[in-house]
Amino acid sequence: MNCELAHERIVLSAYGELSDEFQHELDRHLAACTECSEERQQLLALKTLAAVHPVIEPDANLVARSRLRLEEALDSLPPRRWYERFGQSIVNNFSSLQAAPVAACLLLVVGAGAGTLGGYEFAEGRAAHVAGRAQAAEAATAQTAQQNHAQTVAANPAEVANISSIVRQPNSDMIEVHYNQVVPQRIQGSLDDPAIRQLLMLASENSSAGVRDDSVGLLAAECRAGHSCKGEGMRDALIVALRYDKNEGVREKALQGLEPYVSEDMRVRDAVLEALLYDTDPRIRTEAISILQPVEADTSVRQVLSSVATSDHNPHIRTVSREVLNRAPVIQ
Amino acid sequence: MDGPDRAQERLQARAPEMELIREAQAGSRVAFDALVKQYEQQVLRLALHLTGSEHDAEDIYQEAFLKAFRYIGNFRFECSFYTWIYRIVTNLCLDQLRRRKTRREDQAVVLDHSGDEIDVLSSVSDNRSFSNPAKELDRKVLGERIQAALSKLTPRERMVFELKHYQGLRLRTIGEMLNTTEETAKNTLFRATKKLRTQLAGLR
Repeated sequence: MNCELAHERIVLSAYGELSDEFQHELDRHLAACTECSEERQQLLALKTLAAVHPVIEPDANLVARSRLRLEEALDSLPPRRWYERFGQSIVNNFSSLQAAPVAACLLLVVGAGAGTLGGYEFAEGRAAHVAGRAQAAEAATAQTAQQNHAQTVAANPAEVANISSIVRQPNSDMIEVHYNQVVPQRIQGSLDDPAIRQLLMLASENSSAGVRDDSVGLLAAECRAGHSCKGEGMRDALIVALRYDKNEGVREKALQGLEPYVSEDMRVRDAVLEALLYDTDPRIRTEAISILQPVEADTSVRQVLSSVATSDHNPHIRTVSREVLNRAPVIQ
Repeated sequence: MDGPDRAQERLQARAPEMELIREAQAGSRVAFDALVKQYEQQVLRLALHLTGSEHDAEDIYQEAFLKAFRYIGNFRFECSFYTWIYRIVTNLCLDQLRRRKTRREDQAVVLDHSGDEIDVLSSVSDNRSFSNPAKELDRKVLGERIQAALSKLTPRERMVFELKHYQGLRLRTIGEMLNTTEETAKNTLFRATKKLRTQLAGLR
């Protein structure tokens, strides 16, 4: 122990603030160090001197006077208002929280956790709400789009990639056409629906044999029934089908659909005559002959029938043609 | 007796006081008056010894208890009420000592208990070669010399020496009262004793 430390410990020792262990060390040092021993004597002398200026107990008069003055001062203080007490209680509560750091930390952690969870839930709920609204809006849009689809399809027929199927609901005039766009879609409506008709006409050109058969069959039935078969391209679609479709069933249906218009529409008549002359299927040719009967007076019809009756390689066709020609007495 | 038992005993002893404090916090004047009665002697004793003036001691008493009344709601039982009230009193005393220090920069005067100022140094002999103070100076003059020496200390040194030497408080408690550490209080006490010894060297 050096003397500087010893001087400090002498003070502590004199005032009873030194631990037993350090006291023992100090005693050993003092026994060996004259200077520090002298220091200790001086400090003890100081203590003795300081005792000459003793602490005096305040006399009763001073106490009474002070208390009286204090009571007067306290009495003159305005009573604390309710909001002051309330504010004080809040401050105290907050202070208690500060005084309990563990509880404060715990509360903070719990609060942060709850806040995060709540925020997450809220955000999720909000997202779901927004998504729900978006879905509802989408559904409404889809409905509107379905209603307006005729215009869409009419305006952009190229958007229809192909027609996958056409179904007619039993005992109903409702037709269901499955067609593909970039995103496959479905549309449902009656045969009178322009959008449905548009799709049926597209189907008659582009789809598989089955779809063509369905579409042409429906278009033909519509035309035979006399339902607005003019001006919307339906008749043209049937003519094209009759001329170019590779499937005889489709061609046959197209022919049947065109039947009502043979007498009035030159283009239809020409198509039927072509079918009679060039179609590969005898059934279609035979049927074409029967269809042409009402207009046998037409010279072009008669010429074709005569030609067929004389030179066709199919005996049945020849026979039928001849019969038809024979049934017409007036030949122009 | 082991530590926890002693702490329990202390708590039990302080229970009535804690009840009084709670009532005072709730606004009870009766409870506050009881607390004042409990501590007024100690407050006056400390203030009187530190300032050496009854008038100042009375002022400090008044101001300390008014502050205690106003801010008792802030007392949070983290320390004893004794430490809390002493903290208020020591702060007021320190303010008083600082004011006085400034005022007496050029003169060594103290107040006696009747409030009159006296020049201590002028009453002390310059001859410091005497070896027996009891024979050369009467007790009163010696006391005044000591007072003069004490007044040379900084207010903080004066306060620590007062609380340790005259009031007999532990250094840890002194640290709490002065809002500082036990180590700082110890160093302050060391400096104070060194200065006093220098001041009073001739009186041995």
